[in-house]
Amino acid sequence: MHGIAYDAVHDEIIVPVHLAGAVLIFRGAAKGEEGPIRMIQGPQTQILRPETVTVDVPHGEIIVGEDGGKDILVFRRDAQGDVAPLRVIRGPKTGLDEVRGVAVDPARNLIVVSSYSRKGTTGVFVFDRTDEGDVLPKAVISGPKTGIRRIRQVEVDSDRGKIFVAVKNNSESYRFDEVSPSPWNSAELGFIGVWDIADNGDVPPRAVIKGPASGMVWPAGVALNPRDREIYTIDSVRNGMSIFSVPEFFHAIPR
Amino acid sequence: MQRSIERWAIPTCSIAVLILLLVGLKGDRARSLSSPYRNMEIRNAAPASEEDACSSTMFPSSWTAEASTLGDTPGGDIVPVRSVADPYPSLHSVVVDPENNRVLMSDSNRGGLLFYDRLGANGPSGVAEPVTQVRGPSTGMMFVAGVALDPANHEIFAVNNDIGDRMEVFPYDAEGNVKPKRILFVPHGSWGVGLNRVRNEIAITVEHVNSVVVYRRDATLGEAPMRVLHGPKTGLDDPHGIIFDEKHSEISVANHGNWAPLTREESLEGELKGGRFDLPSITTYAGEANKDSAPVRRIQGKRTELNWPMGMSLDAVHDEIAVASYGNDSILIFRHTDQGDAAPVRVIHGSRTGIAGPMGVSIDAKNDEIWVTNYREHTAVVFARTAEGNVAPKRILRNAPPGTPAVGFGNPGAVAYDSKRDQILVPN
Repeated sequence: MHGIAYDAVHDEIIVPVHLAGAVLIFRGAAKGEEGPIRMIQGPQTQILRPETVTVDVPHGEIIVGEDGGKDILVFRRDAQGDVAPLRVIRGPKTGLDEVRGVAVDPARNLIVVSSYSRKGTTGVFVFDRTDEGDVLPKAVISGPKTGIRRIRQVEVDSDRGKIFVAVKNNSESYRFDEVSPSPWNSAELGFIGVWDIADNGDVPPRAVIKGPASGMVWPAGVALNPRDREIYTIDSVRNGMSIFSVPEFFHAIPR
Repeated sequence: MQRSIERWAIPTCSIAVLILLLVGLKGDRARSLSSPYRNMEIRNAAPASEEDACSSTMFPSSWTAEASTLGDTPGGDIVPVRSVADPYPSLHSVVVDPENNRVLMSDSNRGGLLFYDRLGANGPSGVAEPVTQVRGPSTGMMFVAGVALDPANHEIFAVNNDIGDRMEVFPYDAEGNVKPKRILFVPHGSWGVGLNRVRNEIAITVEHVNSVVVYRRDATLGEAPMRVLHGPKTGLDDPHGIIFDEKHSEISVANHGNWAPLTREESLEGELKGGRFDLPSITTYAGEANKDSAPVRRIQGKRTELNWPMGMSLDAVHDEIAVASYGNDSILIFRHTDQGDAAPVRVIHGSRTGIAGPMGVSIDAKNDEIWVTNYREHTAVVFARTAEGNVAPKRILRNAPPGTPAVGFGNPGAVAYDSKRDQILVPN
């Protein structure tokens, strides 16, 4: 499982199962070997290998992102079984490649996608919520000023119009012929970056958490707790989770 | 940039509030800082230098505060107010070498290998100290999973799963932060490794592409596999543990039962295909099997009790195989020739066994013992080879003080916040 979402209104946990082409929905209080209350799986779903998921509660939709499928699939929130998606965003115009994260801004009717590409564009892609087919993104945050080289989970603070991104960056650099090789390229630090929902192009982040004291090696996930003004990050290499108290990130951040 | 460092001076690694996958953490700084684990150092993974003092291999010495500078951007190098990480190794796979009285365990949490004396015991602190350990950036080990031993040539084979995409080979006497003797680049998602000294080959399972790749034993760097077992007839469904049986020249694989098409073209081949959950299985192939070969035997069905089968081990003397069944905290023993919906000939399971999330298993036919590594506990447990039912282990080796919970993070890739319960959700 490489993704997870929580629906606070319906008290449900949604997880994509990458290796079984499925999206599972559990009770919020589920524990142990408890079965899902719903499952989206089968050829009609068009799901190949789901990597990431989010839920749009106001519009009653579950949004799935795929790395191998290079697409976004939108289902009814209560979809179950082998059902067709309501909408699909896929194709060369979209610029999507290995989709690693997806979030929704229901207030502005936007879907925000993080996508990694070896040959194309790596960055944050913003689509209209109801986009369908092979469509151009409304905005793309990408380029050297962004600091994004590798990217994972993305989250949106809809109330404040902010995009929070887990920028993984640090890449494999193990060179066996070196005397003391290391799997990490210390020149490429990962970080948590914050952008405005209206940002577009090669725009530097408006706020960051980055550096050795942060403990982040390979930040893969980010989640928000606006009530307590906290950011939660998960690090897939350090096998650790960190909680940052950053009240300033939850105010309007001037450029 | 410095403000946050001054605000919370306790290093990240010294605060370890240990959790399982569902985490409840209030915004209570005082509680976090008074955690009994706040001064815990990494044990069984003794820091070789100051560079390693915080978190094993993960923080290169060249990381500096300057490297984090991003102009006047708000935020910066902020110290977390709370952190959750396990400072102790997570015992993953295990293999016993009775000839040399050594037991090797892989540590997927801190990226290392631990060699224990076969008859080693817990010390006064309640923790067993390894004889040697291999760990550090030069080793290249990251999310290390399956391991194999070659007692004759004194070599250790270690495969990285999901990150790393490489197998490292070390000599028996390797210790500390050392370069491997050789490395082999392997497919993304490799997990188990089996050695066949008769064929002079190694076989590796690959979860993501439902494959078994077979290489020359001495293969290095980007060398291509000699054979690739892959396709719908193989029945490979998210393969994990593997045995490369020298006596019968067979390959046996433990499958979780997950399958999904890799590409849209594959999903459209023949009838439209979608993902599916199959029952877990043990599939066995001829040693020379290649491409889309069907298994010669398959153990699958409700009577098998297979549930997330992980590591496997062969007892060539008694013609039995042992399977670590993670999902139901069991060790399942089958006859080598079993197939179909076969019940195991013996099951080790129950509250007295100390088995909790078994990841690795190794049969020591010479000493009539069976070793099990627990992922949900900081323990390895040893039973009589013929143990059955709810029996206490003969010995328990701990790699953390008694009562220390295992966090259980394994290459986590996302996080969510449950605002209703004030809990943090982390999928592995």
